[in-house]
Formats: sequence, C-alpha cells, structure tokens
Amino acid sequence: MDLNFTKKQENFQIEVRSFLNDNLEPQVVEKVKNGIPITKEDSERWHQKLNEKGWLAGTWPKKYGGKEWDVVEKFIFEEECGSAGAPRIVPFGVGMLAPVLMKFGSQEQRDYWLPRMLTGEDWWCQGYSEPGSGSDLASLKTSAVRDGDYYIVNGQKTWTTFAQHANMIFCLVRTSNEGKPQEGISFILIDMNSPGIEVRPIITLDGSHEVNEIFFSDVKVPVKNLVGEENKGWTYAKYLLTHERTGNANVAVSKRKIQKLKKLADDAKKNEQPLSNDPMFASRLAQIEIDLQNLEITNLRTLASVENGEAPGAESSIIKILGSEIEQDIDNLTRKSLGKRAFVNEPDALSTGYNGAEVFPKAAAYASGKYFNHRKKSIYAGSNEIQKNIISKLMLNL
Amino acid sequence: MDFKPSPERQILFDTLKKYFENEYSLSDRNIAAHSDLGYSKKAWEAMRDLGILESLIDPELDGFGGTALDISTVFEALGRGLVVEPFLEVGILAAKVLSKGNEAQKSLVKKILENECLPILAHSETDTEYSKSFVETKLSVEADGSYKISGTKRMIKHASEATHFLVTCRNTGDASSKEGISIACIPTDREGIKIDSFATIDGGRVSDLTFTNVNISSEELVGELGMSYSIVSHAIDTGILAICSEALGIMERIKELTLEYLKTRKQFGVPIGKFQAIQHRMAQLLVEIEQARSSVINATIYFDDETEREKTISAAKFSIGKIGTLVAEESIQLHGGMGMTWEYDLGHYAKRLVLIDHEFGDEDFHLQKYISL
Ligand SMILES: Cc1cc2nc3c(=O)[nH]c(=O)nc-3n(C[C@H](O)[C@H](O)[C@H](O)COP(=O)(O)OP(=O)(O)OC[C@H]3O[C@@H](n4cnc5c(N)ncnc54)[C@H](O)[C@@H]3O)c2cc1C
Repeated sequence: MDLNFTKKQENFQIEVRSFLNDNLEPQVVEKVKNGIPITKEDSERWHQKLNEKGWLAGTWPKKYGGKEWDVVEKFIFEEECGSAGAPRIVPFGVGMLAPVLMKFGSQEQRDYWLPRMLTGEDWWCQGYSEPGSGSDLASLKTSAVRDGDYYIVNGQKTWTTFAQHANMIFCLVRTSNEGKPQEGISFILIDMNSPGIEVRPIITLDGSHEVNEIFFSDVKVPVKNLVGEENKGWTYAKYLLTHERTGNANVAVSKRKIQKLKKLADDAKKNEQPLSNDPMFASRLAQIEIDLQNLEITNLRTLASVENGEAPGAESSIIKILGSEIEQDIDNLTRKSLGKRAFVNEPDALSTGYNGAEVFPKAAAYASGKYFNHRKKSIYAGSNEIQKNIISKLMLNL
Repeated sequence: MDFKPSPERQILFDTLKKYFENEYSLSDRNIAAHSDLGYSKKAWEAMRDLGILESLIDPELDGFGGTALDISTVFEALGRGLVVEPFLEVGILAAKVLSKGNEAQKSLVKKILENECLPILAHSETDTEYSKSFVETKLSVEADGSYKISGTKRMIKHASEATHFLVTCRNTGDASSKEGISIACIPTDREGIKIDSFATIDGGRVSDLTFTNVNISSEELVGELGMSYSIVSHAIDTGILAICSEALGIMERIKELTLEYLKTRKQFGVPIGKFQAIQHRMAQLLVEIEQARSSVINATIYFDDETEREKTISAAKFSIGKIGTLVAEESIQLHGGMGMTWEYDLGHYAKRLVLIDHEFGDEDFHLQKYISL
C-alpha cells in the first residue's frame, strides 16, 4: 500500500497550484467560496484561461489538444481547483460529450466539434430527461423521424441545465418503437438556434435559474449529426453517465467548505462561547469530517482500481451517493451554524450593482439558498435511490 | 381520554382550512412573500376580517381566544395555508407583551384588532444566541429620570412596516442574566433608529435594527424597570407553541402533497409509490409526523403549568426541528426534480419548515435546554 504521490505527480500538483494562484480572479473565487452562483461570462473567462494552458480538457488525447492526464493527474487537478475555489469546468461539452465522440463519433464529428469545445464557440447542454422520463430514462418519447438528409424532431426535454446559455444540445431521441425501449434510442446533436425550438426557464425553489424546459416542434436536424449508429444511443448514453458520475466525490470542495464552516463557527457565539466549542455542534462537525476522510480513501481506492485498468462500475455509484450526501451534510450544518442569519436570502450581495444592506457574514447571503439548491445533488445524475438499485443489482446480485 | 378538539375549535380550524384552500392562493402568496413588503396587505386585511387575530387574544383585551389550545389550532391552520402575514409577530409576540403593560399599552392591543397599529417585538440580538435572556442592548438612566437605549437587534421579522418597536434592553446584569431586562414600547419614527432589511428564503422581510441613544420616557416601559424577563419569556414560549403548531400544519400538507405524488407519478410503468424502497421512506415520514403532533399536544396541555411549560416547550421545539428538517428533505427527494421547482407548492412549504428551526432556538439548543431543566 502506498498512498503517496510520485515525484512527477507532486511536481504537477505544485504547477497546478501556482497556475491557480496566478490566474484565478479574486472576485470570482469570492463568489465560489460563498456558494454564490457565477455568471456565464465568469465561466467563459475561466475556460479560456485554462484552454490557453491546455488544461481545459487535460484528459483528452494530445492530438485533440489535451494532455492525456491519467486518473491521478485528473484527480490532482480537480482537487487543487476545488480547494482554491476555482469555478467548476462546465462539464457538458468537454467532460461528457467529448468522451462519447471520441469513442463512438465519426472522425469528421471529432474534428469539427472537439476544437469548438475548447475555444468556447459551442456551449453544450444535456438533453436526456423528459417530463415522463427521469429515473426511467429509457422510456423517453422525443421522436426523430428520418426524412431524406434530415431527422424531424418532436417532443420535450426538461431539467436541462444551462440550456439558456447553450447553442448546442446533445439529445437522446426515439428513432424506433420496436423491441425493448432501450433499443430504439439514438444520440443526436442539435443546434439550439434551429427553428422550432423553444426554451422556457424553470426556476428552482431557491429562486435561481439554472434549469429549463425545451420544446421541439418539427425541428430539422441534419443526419450527419447522428452520433454512431441509429438505435444504439442507449449504449453511448450509459457510457456517458459513468463519466458523469465519476468525479462526484468532490472531496476538495467539501474540505474547503468544512474549513469555511469552522471559521464561521469560531466567530459565532452560542451561550457566550464560540459555537465551535458547543458539544452538539462539535459532534456534528466531527462526524462529517470523519465521513469525508473515509470518502477520500474510498475515492482513491476507486481511482487506483481504474488506474490498474479496471473499469469503474457500480463503484461510481458508491462515490455518487457519498459525495452528494456529505456535501449536503456540510451545507446543512453551515445553514444551522448561521442561526437566525439563515433567513437571509440575498444571492446578489456579492455582485456589482447590489445596493441593499451589507450581509454579514458574507456566507449568509445565500447559505440557505445553497442548502436547498443542493438537494438536487441526490436527485440528478441518477438519483441516489437509482444508485442503490445499481449497487443491489451489480454488486450484491440481489 | 379524549384528544379531540372542542367542537368550536374544530369549526374554527375547518373554516380556516377551507378559507386558505379557496382564497389564499399559494402563487399570490409567493409573490407577496418575496416582495419588498414581504406579505400582502390585502390578504392581511381579508384574514383579519375572519377574526384570526381575535382568536389569538384574550377576551379582556377584546379578543375571543388566546388560550394555548386556540393558538395551536389557529397556527396549525396557518401552517397548512403557508400564511406569511405577521400573525405570529403581531398577534402573539407583540400582543402578549403589550397585554402585560400599562393601560395605554394594553389599548395598543385593541388597536391591533382595529388595524390601527403594527407593533413588533425587537428582542433577538446576535445570530446564534437563542437564549431568551440574552440582551446586550443598553438602557441608561438619565439625570432627569428618562432613559436612553443603544444597541442592535438582528433578524427581526416584519419590522420595516412596524408602527411600534417593543425593544428589550438591560440596565444591569450580564448579557444572559434574567435580571435587569426591561422592555421599551416606542414608535418606530423615534430619532436614532436605523433599519436595514433583507429578503428571506422562506418569505417575509427581516431587518437589523440599530438603536443609537434613543430617548425613552418612563411611561414607555412595559412592566417595571429591569423586571421584564418573565414577560418576554412567556411571549416567546407562546411564539414557540405557535410555530411548532404551524410546522405541524406544514408537515400535514407536505404529507398530502407527497402521497398524492407517489400515487400519480409513474416511472418504469408503475406509480413510484409501488416501489418498496419508497413505501418505507413514506411510512417513516408518517411515523415521524405522528410523533411531532404528540410533542405539540404535550406542550399545549402543559402550557399553563409553570413548572412544566419550559420543558415541554423545549421538547416540542426539539422534536419539530429534528423531524421538520427530515420531512422537508425526504419529501423533496421523493419528488425528484419536481420537488426542486419554484412553480410547485412543495418547495415553499419545505423552506418554511426548515427555517422554523432557526426561530427561537434550534433542535440542538432545545435539546440542551431540556437537559438543563
Ligand atoms: C437541478 C437539476 C439539474 C438537472 N440537469 C439535467 C440536465 O442537464 N440534463 C438532463 O437530461 N437531466 C437533468 N436533470 C434531471 C435529472 O437527471 C432527473 O431529475 C433525475 O433523473 C430524476 O428524475 P425525475 O426528476 O423525473 O424523478 P423520478 O424519476 O420521477 O423520481 C422520483 C422519486 O422516485 C424515486 N424512484 C424512481 N424510480 C425508482 C425505483 N425504481 N426505485 C426506487 N426509487 C425510485 C427517485 O429516486 C425519486 O426519489 C436535472 C435535475 C435537476 C434537479
């Protein structure tokens, strides 16, 4: 057993750290650290900086502009970003669609779409879920009917994150009603500016706008935008989902949030003592810290097995459950530690142009909002109940 | 043994329940709750016409209720309706304090009923001190026998529209001492008061109030100088009973919404309520909510018993805090994405339910208090 990084890995870690130190914008970090949503422009500027360094898509092959990072390098990069308070790389293009195109797309598709992800010419969103098809994704109904060189797409997608920013969407559509539902699904790429597409915002309970409904009526999509073979989309979709679920441990982000929480608890007073001295609070905090330490090792064990060539199977479900729940626990305790201040909801308090009263401590501006918003973590990317079904089936053979 | 409410209270509850279902639209409520005022004046007036305030106030002050049972009945109904208008702040906290005051102050209670004033208790100070006796706002006695107060009150609900503040302050004793606490009842336009207000996550506005050398006359004290802890304490205990009952109403509504959803939402060809994993989760919610109800009944029964009140109130607030957060989180999860939306009722109930734990002491505070009593 050896939990140490190699010399090369250590050097890489130092390089990442100093890059982050030199390139992160303090104002954006401030937002990230206080849990406040960043703007599209904030994301785009950060993507561009990373791209200049070749780190926007570090795991990609060199020929497409990547650095061919292995799982450990990817891990180091993500951990350093997490603890520095860097904005998360918007995953839909570089993290989700790209692996699918590299494995199943045509050479022409790779050559066209991959560079555009790096330059930011395209902002992708993920069109899987539908009103009637969430956990039971294979039941999806949005149809694509072949008509000459085009597919005609009709139907509705929902919960589409950042569709309001996107100019492209990768969609699962139904191209056949024969056989099992999984056998009639195709994976296509649709231009969001096509006639017949309408995007409507869905506001979440915390008042923010990150998800949308998308309506498709007679939308013409060129056949060359089909990825892989017709009716094989389910295989590609599942491949993408395992990519979506790894990297859900979020250990560094959670560690940073715990540090922040400790600081809050040192400054707050309960019974005229620092809240951090309160035995109830201390016990809650310690339990989360222990859970997180355990997750760190569980996650590294998964990574090590991937490094040795084993595919991450149901193990990624373990990480998804733990990563989401631990982060939710931290958000929960952060909200609690703010006491009455948790009533406040002023997510704009750190933006230029805010002219309301100063929120103190700053974390209080959106702590409750964040807590409620992060209930999504156990719902999306396959709900935690679905992850347990996967574990039951694939690991326990029940 | 009989746990049924009296016929009159059952009628009151049913009337309010029906009224909220038919007349208090949740989408209108949400717009008002997140507006600059934080509630709807129109809804406030319509609900006053129903006699809700009277039902919270003693007959000797022109009300027709005011007992613990009245309060828990009415607040359970207010919880079901997710009512954001200031019944707690005005009808309970301010009215209870003023009812212990001099004639002029008592007459303010009558004015509340006539919609001529909106007094608000300004008690809470630092964000994380929940102790009822925690008061640092300073009251100093001037040479001419008048007073001045200076200090900050934080997170005071519905303060920006208030006509009067009932400000707790101290002239002697440590920050948490029960001795030395006074209450001053002053108009909100008095010189030296600054109000900073914020939007909230669960609806309504909250404000930080800064008092700088605000003049007070001796007639403006509620109760005797330095002797008013028991007044505040009783008002807050009544407030706790009220919001625990409110939480019950919210939980019952959440239970209905969630159960309905489990029966109608289909995935994999069946209603999701057919999955045993889901059934057990829902069954557990039912079990917990029954326990929450019992804790509130217990607190109601012992409310007028001076030796038992604080202990049963802490037991109820602890139970409601613990169970409320669980019910909110589980119900959202069981709804999937739908539970996350602004458009659907559930999230708004869930937010209020969780935030009730931040008012008058959270579950940890009341567990420790229970141990100490
Ligand atoms: C904030 C947010 C962002 C999202 N972003 C995207 C996106 O960008 N693109 C996209 O395509 N989708 C996105 N989603 C959708 C997400 O993937 C779905 O919400 C998720 O798959 C759950 O589906 P559902 O909401 O329809 O819930 P349902 O499937 O209706 O589930 C409701 C409840 O039933 C449970 N359940 C369902 N089936 C079973 C079963 N067999 N056994 C036990 N329990 C079960 C679920 O766990 C859940 O608790 C997003 C969702 C959210 C909330």
